[in-house]
Amino acid sequence: MIKKRPPFVGWKKGLFLFILLGLCSLFSFAQQTIIVKGKVTSEAQPLYGVSVTVKGATSGTTTDDQGNYSINASGNAELVFTFVGFNTQTIKVNNRSTINVELAADTKSLEDVVVIGYGTARKSDLTGAVGTVSEAKLRERSVSSLSQSLAGKVTGVQVNSNSGRPGGRTNVRIRGFSSINSSNNPLYVIDGVMMPINNQTQASQAIDYINPNDIVSVEILKDASSTAIYGARGANGVILITTKRGKSGPGKVTYDVDVSVPTIGPIRTKVLNAKEFLAVEDLAYQNMAKYDPVGWAAGKYVGRNPALARTDPRLFDSNGNPKYDTNWLEEATQNKLSQNHQLGFSGGNEHSTFSASLGYRDDQGLLLTSYLRRYSARFSFDSEIKPWLKVGGTLTYNNQQENIVDQSDQVPRSIVEDFPFLPVKYEDGTWADNRNYPNAEGRDNVVHRLTDTRYILNTQTTIGSLYSNINLAKGLEMRTVLGTNVLAQENLQSQSRTLARNQKGTASAENRRETFWSLENYFTYNKRFAEIHSITGLLGLSWQETDFFRSGASIQNFSTDYFGYNNLGAGSTSPGYSSNSSKFAFNSYFGRVNYSLMDKYLVTFTGRADGSSKFGETKKYAFFPSAALAWRVSEENFLKDNEVISNLKVRTSYGVTGNSEIPSYSSLALLSSNYAAIVNNSRVGGTGINRLANPNLRWEKTAQTDFGIELGLLNNRITLEADYYYRKTTDMLLDAPVPRTSGYGSIRKNIGSMENKGIELGVNAVIIDKENFNWSSTFNISINRNKVLSLATPSDIFNVGGANFTNPTNIIRVGEAAGSFWGLVRLGTWSEAERAEAAKFVSYRNGLTILPGDIKYLDVNKDYAITDADRMIIGNGSPDGWGSFINNFRYRNFGLMIDLQYSYGNDILDMTSHSSEDRVSLANSYRTVLNAWTPENQNTPIAELRDTRAGYVTNVDTRWIKDGSFIRGRNLLLSYDFSHGVTEKLRLSKLRIYASAQNAFIFASDELTSDPETTPTGGYADDGRNVFSQGQHWHSYPKPTIYLLGLNIGL
Amino acid sequence: MNFNIIKKAGALILCGTMLLASGCKKFLEEQDPSNLTPNNFYTISEHAEASIAAVYADTRFFGGGAGIFSSNWQLLEAVTGTSTTETAQNSDLNNLYSLVYDGNTGHVINWWNGLYRVIANANMALDKVPGLTPMDEAQKNKILGEAKFLRAWAYFYAVRLWGDIPLITTPQTANSEDFFPGRAAQEDVYNLIVKDLTEAEAAGLPWMDASGRVSLAAIKAQLARVYLTMAGQPLNKGAAYYQLAADKAKEVIDYANANPGAINLFSTYGEVHHVNTENKLEHLFELQYLADVAGNPMENMFPNFKPVSVYGANGTGSTVPTLSFYQSYEPGDLRAKDQEGYFYTSYYHNGDGAPFDLGAPYIFKHFNVVAFGTQGVKGSARNDLNVPQIRYAEVLLTYAEAKNEVAAGDQSAYDAFKRIRDRAQLVTPAIGTYTQETFREAVWRERWHELCYEGITWFDMVRLRKVYNETTNGFDNFVGHVNKSSNQPLQEKHLLFPLGVQEMLNNPNLKPQNPGYPQ
Repeated sequence: MIKKRPPFVGWKKGLFLFILLGLCSLFSFAQQTIIVKGKVTSEAQPLYGVSVTVKGATSGTTTDDQGNYSINASGNAELVFTFVGFNTQTIKVNNRSTINVELAADTKSLEDVVVIGYGTARKSDLTGAVGTVSEAKLRERSVSSLSQSLAGKVTGVQVNSNSGRPGGRTNVRIRGFSSINSSNNPLYVIDGVMMPINNQTQASQAIDYINPNDIVSVEILKDASSTAIYGARGANGVILITTKRGKSGPGKVTYDVDVSVPTIGPIRTKVLNAKEFLAVEDLAYQNMAKYDPVGWAAGKYVGRNPALARTDPRLFDSNGNPKYDTNWLEEATQNKLSQNHQLGFSGGNEHSTFSASLGYRDDQGLLLTSYLRRYSARFSFDSEIKPWLKVGGTLTYNNQQENIVDQSDQVPRSIVEDFPFLPVKYEDGTWADNRNYPNAEGRDNVVHRLTDTRYILNTQTTIGSLYSNINLAKGLEMRTVLGTNVLAQENLQSQSRTLARNQKGTASAENRRETFWSLENYFTYNKRFAEIHSITGLLGLSWQETDFFRSGASIQNFSTDYFGYNNLGAGSTSPGYSSNSSKFAFNSYFGRVNYSLMDKYLVTFTGRADGSSKFGETKKYAFFPSAALAWRVSEENFLKDNEVISNLKVRTSYGVTGNSEIPSYSSLALLSSNYAAIVNNSRVGGTGINRLANPNLRWEKTAQTDFGIELGLLNNRITLEADYYYRKTTDMLLDAPVPRTSGYGSIRKNIGSMENKGIELGVNAVIIDKENFNWSSTFNISINRNKVLSLATPSDIFNVGGANFTNPTNIIRVGEAAGSFWGLVRLGTWSEAERAEAAKFVSYRNGLTILPGDIKYLDVNKDYAITDADRMIIGNGSPDGWGSFINNFRYRNFGLMIDLQYSYGNDILDMTSHSSEDRVSLANSYRTVLNAWTPENQNTPIAELRDTRAGYVTNVDTRWIKDGSFIRGRNLLLSYDFSHGVTEKLRLSKLRIYASAQNAFIFASDELTSDPETTPTGGYADDGRNVFSQGQHWHSYPKPTIYLLGLNIGL
Repeated sequence: MNFNIIKKAGALILCGTMLLASGCKKFLEEQDPSNLTPNNFYTISEHAEASIAAVYADTRFFGGGAGIFSSNWQLLEAVTGTSTTETAQNSDLNNLYSLVYDGNTGHVINWWNGLYRVIANANMALDKVPGLTPMDEAQKNKILGEAKFLRAWAYFYAVRLWGDIPLITTPQTANSEDFFPGRAAQEDVYNLIVKDLTEAEAAGLPWMDASGRVSLAAIKAQLARVYLTMAGQPLNKGAAYYQLAADKAKEVIDYANANPGAINLFSTYGEVHHVNTENKLEHLFELQYLADVAGNPMENMFPNFKPVSVYGANGTGSTVPTLSFYQSYEPGDLRAKDQEGYFYTSYYHNGDGAPFDLGAPYIFKHFNVVAFGTQGVKGSARNDLNVPQIRYAEVLLTYAEAKNEVAAGDQSAYDAFKRIRDRAQLVTPAIGTYTQETFREAVWRERWHELCYEGITWFDMVRLRKVYNETTNGFDNFVGHVNKSSNQPLQEKHLLFPLGVQEMLNNPNLKPQNPGYPQ
């Protein structure tokens, strides 16, 4: 339910509002005498924000939301009207006091200004591959983090939301993997302030803590020409984020609200119901006689007779029939209303502008007790204090609270494995858990777990930046930006006394703080000479430092559940405490030259020298250069007036970027003081070997070549952008294995190389463009191929993907795609006809003879033993191609958007096959076990059912590999914009209502047990082990379908 | 005005450049505030204690995880044929039971890595501690003695598992000469082991140390074990080394006889696996465990998902006795008696509830009644139990075996042997009924039944090249003996474990692979 109270209550929020209002009045400067007034329109609609200047003067004004302007000008002056996306008009005043102007849309729309590193550029002047996402596109879906809204918007950018929990567990990869032991995350830069790159707690990124509604545009720098200006941090691509700023003109107030409900999504795991489970259990018991005849005869399994277990009168009637048939997925989920409110103010005059916004988001997760709440506030101002001096700044504060329920695999796993014949609670009010059923694997039911566990993550993010722009001379500007970003996090955990039974309750509290500051200073020089030469130069330097501190405490054994994590002093056993701290710094120098000849031939050179504290004594600095060329073919005479081709640009670039995302101190020899000996039954701290020194440790480098073509047809009704790229990472930062006889496992080294090559294609077309009906379509596809070229040593590298609990699941091997899935080939099951052949095998199940009905593996080396020698690469989690297909329809005031996401050729390694197919009886299983081998059903991949004690084998094998290709209805959106007449009556400038359904349907293999976008849940979330686990499924938070209703109001 | 701006900007740039010149080198220097480096540690005497503590901590690799439902120690049990598994979920463990392991098998690799890490930390202590001044010399010697014992402990495992192995005796850096070592001859490894243990003997350590640190009794018993092994396969040093083994064991026995309150056999088998008797009397050396730091790692001996403990039904059953070995105990042997000996066939529901029959024998030798519960007493769920490494029972049997080789019919050898059988409430034939051969086999048989599931049996099989046959109650030759756990015959190649395949790739000097195994 929506709470009745208004979204802003409480004195804190009131005070904040008050301050904002005060600031508003501060910026309301006295109006000047009007000489020329008028209205600027386009197709009879007023244009807001059109820049009006007197030619030759530096100052000017902009139109208000009714399109009106007023400006001082002399009678013979010329007024210049400019507006992004429209042709500029210059009009002589001729002593008129009213001049109304009709601006024509610039159909070529190439004058869009794009944010690039340390500056902006016209889209037409770009020489690099830069993807842009506009505010409108960002707002198409209401999501809690920016990464999620970027999904499918830009080619070459793969966004996977690997959990259905609010906030997401999102993975962003730009043009594939560039690294093995270093981060593959892109660099986020918000208004010039860099964000931490490495994964935060629970596979979150720093960007996930930012209110996406404050963001107005996102530019994704992909090729080396555009990323090289970020040097050592640019190798994985750079995402530039621009947040809201004020515009001069009358103040604006906007209010956006949406409410939504999550429901169980299109993919449901199918598990046995109570009757089926009991039948499977009976059969599994009986089959033990067949699979372990000796043990059976010796009476080893007498106690396992299910009949003996079904005696609890709370669960079974006197005939052993179950009293309950619980659907645990439904018990574990909720359909609670979530809400999202955004309030924005902006305004200013020709000298100063400001914007302020407040946000409140309350996402109620699909699983019980999971939520994400975020309070956010943001203020920005820009002021031209002197004609030569402009200053401005931004302050953003976000406070986010989450209860994360998939911090371990237990909750989603219990949804599958809880026995269907158990109720949530017995009639006496105590929890009914699997552990109550004799001989089952002891686990607690999912509702019990959800109710009695807390994993609270409170994150406060403060991002501030201040800049000054000094105009030193015509065309020469110096900009200084001071940025800070403080990320403070509390992680509070507790488990009740009924859940942590043996510990009698547990609680812990951890605090983390990551403080970043940067100071950057750069000069920009712009000059156009002899009409045909245009040059832009940039030269700058930068200091950055990040400081990290963490402390934590934990304890067990409470006499009550009342305290949770709020009184650790009340616990009495096993107190634990820890802290650590680290620091790293950058010092950099960068420059760029853009040269354009006749606006047709464009050249860019970029270079950055980066110094990082993380590298070896002698290898602190490195230089990252790039160059790019572009040719605007359509500006040539032979194409200039072509009616079909309205825009054609070809471009190419080459450059080198770096990756420095390794832990601090990696080049130093270190001892660890975390050894714990036990003497006299107490802990004695020890100090011993930890890491080998490598004074020559240096940057990982990625060289990238890019060829791109941009084509506009029929007045740009159809536009196409295609890129081919080749990225080669060398000096790969690798935890290279060393001989273990040294006592050490690895050394951080620069060795090994890897390549990614790919094609990106994006097409936009306006298919129908009638007055009342418009249909436009966007299609994009990205194809990337990864290959390991060389490694430090000939030895393969394992343990690079999560959840290696049965066998290593991923391998890095020269010549193969990094992180390929690794396992046996399951040919099926042995048939009766093959009894003799099966018996020849050295037992791979407890030493018991292999029988018909047992799993049949491919014996690669034909030695009649199934060993590691029979393992091979059996799949890969990276898709062959992915992208989206988005159609927008507009009929009068109605809008309809259908946003489809697709991916093909990506394998899923379903680790849950192990626990839910290869071991019936211990817990509930998937319904696929009903297709197990029987003498009548011999052609099946699933072994004949039997109790695990009678020899059930389980191995990472091809049966676990599933086709993860899919087409998803990512977003279906229906909107209605109230017409001008209606909004005018309501004294609003804008009123829009819309409804959407996210993840409404999916076309994918029936065999999938989870959403195909998945990574393992559990203790596998840390950066190291998660690198190559995309596509591995180990019990994730189910992805919901979200129904949403929203309203946009502009005042 | 413009001039002014340029002046200001000039000043700014100047400032910037100055910062750059002066501040920047320091700006990028780094020092880890949370970890020490070899240069800022090993300065005061306390660091010697921290240094030896790291070596002790590393010995717990023995109980480290080896994939699903498995621990490293199972390497030493699975191959003996005396145990089997109730679950086939860990393919590495399956391959051990089935004797089809190779250089990719996780347990084999973990043992190599774990042992060499113990060695590396011991080398670090042996390298750095002597230079600490000021420091009490007696204390310094003791710590060096402990480090030598632990290094020898690790090398003794390694040389028996792989034969010729790299011999590393100094701390390593990436530039060390022996960073890519070849295989040293077994003889050289044994020489280092004997030298380390002999020096440790003289380090001034107390006969027994209830705190769990290395004691003189442990050193002497270990040395007796080493000599006994050297006397047999593969070095075959024969009588002289049987004599050495007997002498060294005798030193412990003499001390025990003089101080029965310090070293002795426990009167009940329950005391062998009770937390109150840790590091005392019969336990000459144990790996130390404490729930707060690291809980006892032997819980894979629980029956598979039967509720025998306070944890409920959560056992894996990945090491359980083979029925044939359990049935090979002589009738009346107390060691085979439910809950009184080394096995149990019934227990209490969830550790303390209603008794129930388990349907099969399970290993009680590492069962911690305090943690898991016992009749009417709920378990504490904190498994602090240590893992025994050397028991006085073994010293007695070592003595009996070694002495018989050099002096057949020796009364003291018979007495040592008989003490083990007396505790099991077995009748022992008179000394005169034994020949040297029958006594030898009787002692071996006792070793199988007394020292089972303690990581000893496999090494007996290898040094003797004999395996106890549960059916005939006699001894088969190693090669050709069929392990009852998997019905697979032992082959010549099984006398040594394979070198890790990845390790061989990472170290081109490490060759050749042991015979019979693929590269």
